[in-house]
Amino acid sequence: MTRTFKHVVLGLIVVIWVLPFIALVTTSLRSETASKTSGFWTAFTPTELGHRFGTHDRGEIEPFVTMSGNIFERLNEGKDSFEVEGEVNSILFKGRVDDPDNPGKTKLIRQLIYAGEVMDVRDGDFVFQSNGDFTWSFPEATAPKPKNLDAFINQDPVFGTDAYVEVLFENENVPNALIASFIVTIPATIIPITIAAFAAYAFAWMRFPGRDWLFVLVVSLMVVPTQLAFLPVLQGFSGIASWATSLNAWMTDCEATKTCQVASKSFASLWVTHTAFGLPLAIYLLRNYIVGLPKELLESARIDGASHLQIFTRLIIPLSVPALASFSIFQFLWVWNDLIVALYIGPADSSDLVFPIRLQKQLGTFKDQLHLLNASAVISIIVPVIVFLSMQRYFIRGLLAGSVKGG
Amino acid sequence: MAQVALKGVNKSFGNVDVIHDVDLQIDDGEFVVFVGPSGCGKSTLLRLIAGLENLSSGEIHIADRPVMDLPPSKRGIAMVFQSYALYPHMTVFHNMAFSLGLQGVSKAEIHERVEAAAKILQMEHLLDRRPAALSGGQRQRVAIGRAIVRNPDVFLFDEPLSNLDAALRHDTRVEISKLHNQLGATTIYVTHDQVEAMTLADKIVVLKDGEVMQVGAPMDLFNFPANEFVAGFLGSPKMNFFDGELVSGAGSNSGEFKGDSLHSNGVRLVSTNKSNGDKIKLGIRPQHLVIDPDGQLKGKATLVERLGTETVIELITESQTTFRFASPESLDIVNGQDVSFSFDPASAHLF
Repeated sequence: MTRTFKHVVLGLIVVIWVLPFIALVTTSLRSETASKTSGFWTAFTPTELGHRFGTHDRGEIEPFVTMSGNIFERLNEGKDSFEVEGEVNSILFKGRVDDPDNPGKTKLIRQLIYAGEVMDVRDGDFVFQSNGDFTWSFPEATAPKPKNLDAFINQDPVFGTDAYVEVLFENENVPNALIASFIVTIPATIIPITIAAFAAYAFAWMRFPGRDWLFVLVVSLMVVPTQLAFLPVLQGFSGIASWATSLNAWMTDCEATKTCQVASKSFASLWVTHTAFGLPLAIYLLRNYIVGLPKELLESARIDGASHLQIFTRLIIPLSVPALASFSIFQFLWVWNDLIVALYIGPADSSDLVFPIRLQKQLGTFKDQLHLLNASAVISIIVPVIVFLSMQRYFIRGLLAGSVKGG
Repeated sequence: MAQVALKGVNKSFGNVDVIHDVDLQIDDGEFVVFVGPSGCGKSTLLRLIAGLENLSSGEIHIADRPVMDLPPSKRGIAMVFQSYALYPHMTVFHNMAFSLGLQGVSKAEIHERVEAAAKILQMEHLLDRRPAALSGGQRQRVAIGRAIVRNPDVFLFDEPLSNLDAALRHDTRVEISKLHNQLGATTIYVTHDQVEAMTLADKIVVLKDGEVMQVGAPMDLFNFPANEFVAGFLGSPKMNFFDGELVSGAGSNSGEFKGDSLHSNGVRLVSTNKSNGDKIKLGIRPQHLVIDPDGQLKGKATLVERLGTETVIELITESQTTFRFASPESLDIVNGQDVSFSFDPASAHLF
């Protein structure tokens, strides 16, 4: 009983967790019309959607008495994806008919006409079948203007990768954002983890005065919110930038080409900021892991003649792989998804914008083009997923097996 | 020539004195065992010699060099830890080669020395394995092998057998003993197990609360304990003690004892600071009691343990002193039975 309950709760949590992702992926694979007019959950079953088709192409018509054609053919003409298939339910009739209340007058009506029923289109009889075939007949040969009609079609599920192609290849924004995000994220992950590993070893196993107080200080820095530090950090960077600008002017002949200016907001400022704000947690996590390694191992290495650096590189690093991997995942995710630091401190050049900023800008440019927004979002999700899966093999259980007693 | 010499060694952690004025000489090739109850400072003393702890005061010399300011690796020692402390991510070969690689020994020589050590320990077939794929005894051997390849002046063993099961412990003990005979290296061995101490040692150092109680050959310590602690610590079952007073013999090395129901003359008097009439304890090993219907020591059996090789009987005297009797014979004494014993005053001690 409680077991079933647990499973239900667990299932519920999984659904809640996974649903947004499914929605995102599904919507990104649908056509623009479909994503605009119906929810993602309708994408897997036949769904009634409105489509506008023209009876024929403009200006190429010979007079005829009866014209026959197919609604689907008309709809799919010139399309190579998201082809509409299914059953035609009805067509919206919009026009004037005799008004029964006011003889001699007409009134505008909107009415759904179903398959097989006769509809008056430009004074001809328009009849369609649910498979899309239609005939349009006139009492005498006529060459009517094309007429656009709105058909409600019970449409079969159809998916395509058009949104991805459009987002990735028809515009430089998303590829640029991907590259910029990598430029920011990879150093901003590697630099803090390297520094933190050294610091963690020192805090865990080296004796120096004030060690514990220093560690408390570092850990307590975790509570400083990044937002609070934007102003001083920015001021610092612009100070460095103006100093670098004058140095540049003094050292090189950049004044001739007016290229002396060094930007204060750059990739490097992002690396430094992310490193600084990532370090306290990194040091804390790694130190707690490293301090848990068996003391005898380090003593044994000391007796074997290893220096601190040799102990660090040949024992601590190989044995800390799981902790290093888990922190690098943390840091990668946090930097990859970061919007606000990149917004305030990162480069402002349009081609250097990182992914979250690009997504935020797309909200403006794509407005209601959900499929494109979602395709971009999925691309930005895929990268951390790949990182996570590839790091997973480093979470090794029993790394210390055989080292000390028990094992 | 003293291979290891300790002079006035003191160690305190904060306000706690753990090692108190230890003086010790260990000769070349000697197998010395530090033994004592847990918390007596024996491991700390070993770690001081190894250089893993810093001295509070005193001097340590190894191979006639003062080593107080040298790091562990420069002291000419190799240590085998209780927990083996093998490097889990390296093969057995690399575990053993680690220290040589750090010393910059050539690859060919590393191979030669590791293989020589592996041969001594009969574990050539294990060289490519990782510690996780080894049994407890094999790990212990790798740990010893790692010490051997360093070719140290002194081997240090910190309770190396306490993680092994009883059968393996015996085998490994024999192996360590053989190994010592084969290598002839000076060895310091820490244990809380008096059987290991008695069987392995050329010289036993009994420690209590950071102080050396007695130093000497195993049988000397067993037969002529310097104090009540050593007498009670060595030997199994424990020595029996009876309260009483010293009637005569103060100042000499033989005294007369009078207890509740015991009277004995010509007993080895250990304490030198007692005068006639002082309270004193008579110690007699359970093995040295003899069943004698006319014996003066009478007791009622409360527990009979038959170990196969030995029968141990716990008894209680009329004055509520418990004592034990051990005999290699299988006796048909039952609980509640009254038994009388006599003993040879020459095998008893007065503390």
